[in-house]
Amino acid sequence: MSERRPYVRRQSRLWWASRTYRGYTLRELSGVGVAVYGAVLLAGLDSVRRGPDAYAAFVGWLSTPVAIVLHLVLLAAMLLHGLTWFQTLPKTMPRLIVGGQAVPQKTITNAAIGLAMLCSLALVIGALS
Amino acid sequence: MDHFDTDILILGAGGAGLRAAIAAAEAAPDQRVALVSKVYPMRSHTVAAEGGSAGVVQAHDTLDDHFNDTVSGGDWLCEQDVVEYFVSHCTREMIQLEHWGCPWSRKPDGHVNVRAFGGMKIERTWFAADRSGFHILHTLFQTSTKYKSIERFDEYFCVDLLVENGRAQGAVLLCLATGEFCAITARAVVLATGGAGRVFRQNTNGGIVTGDGMALAFRHGVPLRDMEFVQYHPTCMPGSGVLFTEGCRGEGAFLLNKDGYRYLQDYGLGPAEPQPRNKYMELGPRDRLSQAFWQEERKGRTVTTPQGEAAVLLDLRHLGRKRIEERLPLICELARHFMGIDPVDTPIPVRPAVHYTMGGILVGIDTASPLPGLYAAGECSSIGIHGANRLGSNSLAELSVFGRVAGEQAAAFAKGAAAAEIPALLDRARAAEARALGLLNGKGGGERHSVLRKEMADSLEKGCGIYRLGDEMQQACDRLADLRHRYDGITIDDKSRAWNTDWISALELGYQLDVAQAMAHSAIARKESRGAHQRLDGYTQRDDANYLRHSLAHYRKGASPEISYSPVTITRSPPGQRAYGALGEQLEHARKEATHG
Amino acid sequence: MADRDRLTIELWILRYRPAQDEEPHFVSYTVTYTEEMSVLEALQSIKDEQDGSLSFRWSCRMAICGSCGMMIDGTPKLACSTFLRDLAPGPVKIAPLENFPIERDLVVTVADFVKKIESIYPFIMPKETKPVEAGEYLQTPAQMAAYEPFSDCINCMLCYAACPQFGANPDFIGPGAMALLQRYNGDSRDAGSRERLDLIHGEDGVWSCTAVGLCSEACPKLVDPANAVNQNKTNSAFDFFLRGLRKENHS
Repeated sequence: MSERRPYVRRQSRLWWASRTYRGYTLRELSGVGVAVYGAVLLAGLDSVRRGPDAYAAFVGWLSTPVAIVLHLVLLAAMLLHGLTWFQTLPKTMPRLIVGGQAVPQKTITNAAIGLAMLCSLALVIGALS
Repeated sequence: MDHFDTDILILGAGGAGLRAAIAAAEAAPDQRVALVSKVYPMRSHTVAAEGGSAGVVQAHDTLDDHFNDTVSGGDWLCEQDVVEYFVSHCTREMIQLEHWGCPWSRKPDGHVNVRAFGGMKIERTWFAADRSGFHILHTLFQTSTKYKSIERFDEYFCVDLLVENGRAQGAVLLCLATGEFCAITARAVVLATGGAGRVFRQNTNGGIVTGDGMALAFRHGVPLRDMEFVQYHPTCMPGSGVLFTEGCRGEGAFLLNKDGYRYLQDYGLGPAEPQPRNKYMELGPRDRLSQAFWQEERKGRTVTTPQGEAAVLLDLRHLGRKRIEERLPLICELARHFMGIDPVDTPIPVRPAVHYTMGGILVGIDTASPLPGLYAAGECSSIGIHGANRLGSNSLAELSVFGRVAGEQAAAFAKGAAAAEIPALLDRARAAEARALGLLNGKGGGERHSVLRKEMADSLEKGCGIYRLGDEMQQACDRLADLRHRYDGITIDDKSRAWNTDWISALELGYQLDVAQAMAHSAIARKESRGAHQRLDGYTQRDDANYLRHSLAHYRKGASPEISYSPVTITRSPPGQRAYGALGEQLEHARKEATHG
Repeated sequence: MADRDRLTIELWILRYRPAQDEEPHFVSYTVTYTEEMSVLEALQSIKDEQDGSLSFRWSCRMAICGSCGMMIDGTPKLACSTFLRDLAPGPVKIAPLENFPIERDLVVTVADFVKKIESIYPFIMPKETKPVEAGEYLQTPAQMAAYEPFSDCINCMLCYAACPQFGANPDFIGPGAMALLQRYNGDSRDAGSRERLDLIHGEDGVWSCTAVGLCSEACPKLVDPANAVNQNKTNSAFDFFLRGLRKENHS
């Protein structure tokens, strides 16, 4: 019998709450925000299906303080989610080689964010005109 | 004690050991190979080699040039038949590494690129940025996992060789994780345990470079050859000794003294040109550059670092950011992170530190030692290609070329050898275990091994440094004899078994003291100056009449080693004047005229 | 230099000696340090001068051998390239790499990680075999750029210590081994991607990864193992669907 007796440390069940993983945990939680906003949109669509009264009630709810606060929170979540999503993007694709050199991940992220902003802008302009 | 029987036992799993294991597995797939290392193979010190590995590849380069550079670089103390074999097999080995995946740096057309190196007339150093050793080691390690006949013993420390009936037949190992012993019996044994640079204070070596294999062979009667030749690398980090590759100068870096002057031109290496020519100035050999540093320090023309060390300046600035970051990323990382200096805009303070042991276990061209069944390759061996001074990029090539030879030769020997004499070997193994446990459990006089280690390193640095004096070498010899004596009375703090690094360090110190004694006694006996062995006490010239000979240190239990000499094999390059810079070129011309005229 | 300030700093080191300890506990040591002193040098001075029984792995001192990874103030770092000046005034907490069993003191079990490396066929499976005599395979700088960063992994295991999913599932192949896998898959000389793909499906393959991404931040060599893992999630997913299609074609 040798002296060897490796000691196995148990991972804390609350590891995700620790400082180290705060950024990751917030990113994952922001996904819940995206889902909630999806539900809000679906509810709006459903109100359209149910007729003008239901739609008016939905629009009315949108202007209540609760709804405004909720939307601000959801907007923050969406922005965080979008940002982290684009930051993760270059990690999920093969290294992009242009002219014999790898394109920096930051460039890919910035390009993707730029593209998303352009699309959003086009949508907003389209909706306004 | 656990017992494991194999055909070929390889001690050490750095570049040479891994190359030997692969060669043995390919040459004799039916034989079992046990590959032992005191660390995981990828931690081996090959990992720290930066600059690259030699192999003639350019159309205007020749094997003759590589031969001549190596032999004159070694100040004619090389075994010329071995050098001839070596240079003609380097390129093949470099291509083999390429086939196994080594990411050698490339030219735009996809061919392997080469860089200039000190003492080499033509660019022939294959490089993987400035992590060449790292990539060679990882490539070899990863490739070795392909061979089912190789069984690894990672983190097993060798406490003794098993020798019976005048033949090496195995080793006794200490498993670091458990602190238990095991015996491996084998038909052939290969030592590939690396150098011994840690016996000096300022050195570029990893903590594991403690000369274990040298001492093991030495204790079993195998002579250590040319141990006085210890290489100082001229460009290292003051304080820690961490290496800044010669590749820096290969890429065009300058060495400046405190006045911003390229001082090497004062030491027969000039003229100083904006783009140093091969074998001129910064591209001179390591011994000459380290000696020039010593002289500059004497003249008070060095800078002083915050650690209080004298230093000169390694200036990369004129190469520009792009080239520096592309070709020398590790150097950038070391300078920026460890020293807070950006080499792109500030010269790096550097000084010489011990880097390599040219000498080692005496072996012939077939890597066989005088002890039947025992082979050695890589830095632990003295096969005779480095002579009195090794040229940069010849050692990575050496471990590939002769690692392979060792593996093949050991496999051939094992095939013809009788089976290991197991009962007798196990008796010897138990005796070795008892000795190692005696060191652990001995009461001792309370002195720590770390105290002895520091004294050893200080005395060698003083006595066997860049320039040497008879009385200082004598002091080193005396001090080492005293340390050897005190070693028997050390006390180990830690009496436990599992992962007891206190114990391992003490065992390593025992090896180091043996190797240090071989160095100091070989040095004092050589009454001339040659290559890395430079004396200031009346023996300042090379003396071919008396010392164109290899020194051999023989182990004597309880006493200082005995020194004898053996002839040098000279095939086609008669000893000539060794010169670099403009004079070197003149002499080379004259030699060529003489041979063709 | 004599006139330079000699500062002291306290180190809290997690110690575990299997012969005598039931579980790990912190022990305090105080060392004198200078501006350029690394955590490794501090540990060495403790071992040499205060307590010879402290165990840790180290060798090269220049961040290339990968031996001295440990948790320093809660972050996985190489002790040789982490400097006390950046941790002052302390106390500094030093612990063995997270998520690995402790053999003793700062020494963790490495064998499982090495087995993972060995399992992914970490060698070239040549597209075309050619004898050494025929010379090298050509590879342009652009082809090298596709895999070279993944070949810079020093196997220090910091990425595993940073990965909570490896902490939850020790059989997860993990970032380091995946970087090595991608190093070979991305090599223009290699044709082994197919064989390697079979190794990475499932929870113990790439699918334990939730793209936390801290592995890449912990990496001292900018290898970006997160990229290797997540690229291969895509590969694994494609393979899954393509296999479905192939099966339908056969039926």
